[in-house]
Amino acid sequence: MTNPTEDDLKVIADQVWSSYLDLDGASPLVPLPHEKPVDDVTASVSVTGAWRGHVLVSCSEAAAKHVAAALLGIEFDDVAEEDVADALGELANIIGGNVKSLLPEPCALSLPHVHVDGANGRYPSVTEVCHLEGTWMAESVTVTVLESTADLAGAPA
Amino acid sequence: MKILIADDSRVMRQIVTRTLRQAGFEGHDLVEASDGQEAFDKTVAEKPDLVLSDWNMPHMTGVEVLRMLRANGNQVPFGFVTSEGTPEMRQAAEDAGALFLVTKPFTADTFKDALDPILG
Repeated sequence: MTNPTEDDLKVIADQVWSSYLDLDGASPLVPLPHEKPVDDVTASVSVTGAWRGHVLVSCSEAAAKHVAAALLGIEFDDVAEEDVADALGELANIIGGNVKSLLPEPCALSLPHVHVDGANGRYPSVTEVCHLEGTWMAESVTVTVLESTADLAGAPA
Repeated sequence: MKILIADDSRVMRQIVTRTLRQAGFEGHDLVEASDGQEAFDKTVAEKPDLVLSDWNMPHMTGVEVLRMLRANGNQVPFGFVTSEGTPEMRQAAEDAGALFLVTKPFTADTFKDALDPILG
């Protein structure tokens, strides 16, 4: 089994967008890097087991609010702060779950972690496997897959 | 019918509720649970006719909830709505007694196919 690629992320993102975020096809995620990528909000899920790493969804605060509004079926201005973290976390969970299906078994997926303050957490000893940079509703959205390079068996005797 | 929707994400519980409506399953009594323990407790207390459960939840996973229900003699119809659909998980779901496993992202048509035999 090979590592997931940017094309895989695009296929997964297209499914998520057409199911929940772009029902009428008018606002797809365009796979072109935003001129100013931002990570105001980052949601991540971790994968452990035969493959170890993380799947991250990072976006601007406005994009995160658009995600919450679309998922909840409410207006942008009606989105509450707690909805933003919940919505981005669920987005990472859905994308992460689909990425996990491309990885060797057995693996387990963690519950999502969400950082809404621009502090997107630290991921020591990782290497980037692939990422998808996109623009949605004129805002920046990025999906990144990081593989852990730490050797669990390498602890000193 | 009474349907219990178990998911730790309020947003996803809303999406499941909306998708049930879009799939034509309206007028049912909906109950929500926000983690595995609550899903088990409410299934016992509220006696729903169907449980739609996430897999990954705090306190107890969905499949643990299902196994505990069956171990306690509860035979409520139970289906998973989860972001993961590996062959291993489908097998584990089936072995535990689940009727179906719907993967996220799902559409109203997916719900209709899975739920028609139960609610149709």
